[in-house]
Amino acid sequence: MASDSDRLLVQQIRQGDPRAWDHLIARYEGRLLAFVQRRLHDRATSEDVVQETFIGFLTSLPNFDERRELQTYLFTIASHKLTDHLRRNGRHPLQNAPDELLHLKLDDNPAASSMARSHERRMLESEAVARCLGQLIKDWQTEGEFGRMKVLELLFVKGWANRDVAAFLKINEQQVANIRFAAVKKIGDFIRDAGLPADVFPELHVADAP
Amino acid sequence: MTKAAKTSISREQLCGYLDDSLCDTETARVEDALRHSESLRKDLRSLMQERDRGEHSVGAIWRRSRLTCPNREQLGSFLLGVLDAGFHGYVEFHLKTVGCAFCLANLADLEEQRREAAPHTHQRRKRYFESSAGLLRGKR
Ligand SMILES: [Zn+2]
Repeated sequence: MASDSDRLLVQQIRQGDPRAWDHLIARYEGRLLAFVQRRLHDRATSEDVVQETFIGFLTSLPNFDERRELQTYLFTIASHKLTDHLRRNGRHPLQNAPDELLHLKLDDNPAASSMARSHERRMLESEAVARCLGQLIKDWQTEGEFGRMKVLELLFVKGWANRDVAAFLKINEQQVANIRFAAVKKIGDFIRDAGLPADVFPELHVADAP
Repeated sequence: MTKAAKTSISREQLCGYLDDSLCDTETARVEDALRHSESLRKDLRSLMQERDRGEHSVGAIWRRSRLTCPNREQLGSFLLGVLDAGFHGYVEFHLKTVGCAFCLANLADLEEQRREAAPHTHQRRKRYFESSAGLLRGKR
């Protein structure tokens, strides 16, 4: 979700306000530089990539949807510029892998998605799941249920197996299975209530009742 | 070798790799595994095709919406050590175990701000501004 202050800044930049642009640079350049430098390990080159990121942002500004989070958008541009840079310099780690693979990674662009289901449909599904999970996570944070959050983040975001999550967090496998089951059920109900087909998320079906 | 490399990389890690959301150690590990395993490259290819067809995962949405990322203020409080023990432990987990590239970048930036002398930062920002401001509306 975009913050009001970012949204205002973007609106002023769209009007061509140089002070607002200066402001945006000051707000974001440090974290972008850190993001790029973690991969390049070279200060001067990293600054070049950040410079290209800001240029890229202004170039793509007419297409920027203000409801998107500005920071995430900037990180996405930085990550594309980073890949471009590595490729141009023959330093991309997949350079020696089959060409096809590198091209797949570079051309990976959600907006270019063509077939099967429409972009809008996918956005609706994503938004529903993000809203539901966001609410669950907020509740857990308020209740101090950080153990639950850790379990689910390892399962869903990192794709760890139940057994590995249990071993890492020093709880038993059954507890992990129960947490997964409860979360999957809540998300599934939410998706159904939103009138969306639940079968678009395969991982919501693999979990069996504990 | 091929088999070991493949089995140690999960589908969600590949997905995170495509989103550039992994920490540098994990990125290096995934890339190394990709170089050595044709079958992992095959998995990556089919994953990309699935994404292009519009199939998505809960993990991808979680990462993209940054659902559990602490905000800047919270990361600042983490650095100062003034968060509740439970939340502090969670932020540490998010940074070290999940290895969220975006939060690690924010943290590094906050640490840098505490150290860095102002003139450097000022120079850098001036350079970014001057190289891009010509693209602002009405300046062309
Ligand atoms: Zn994060």
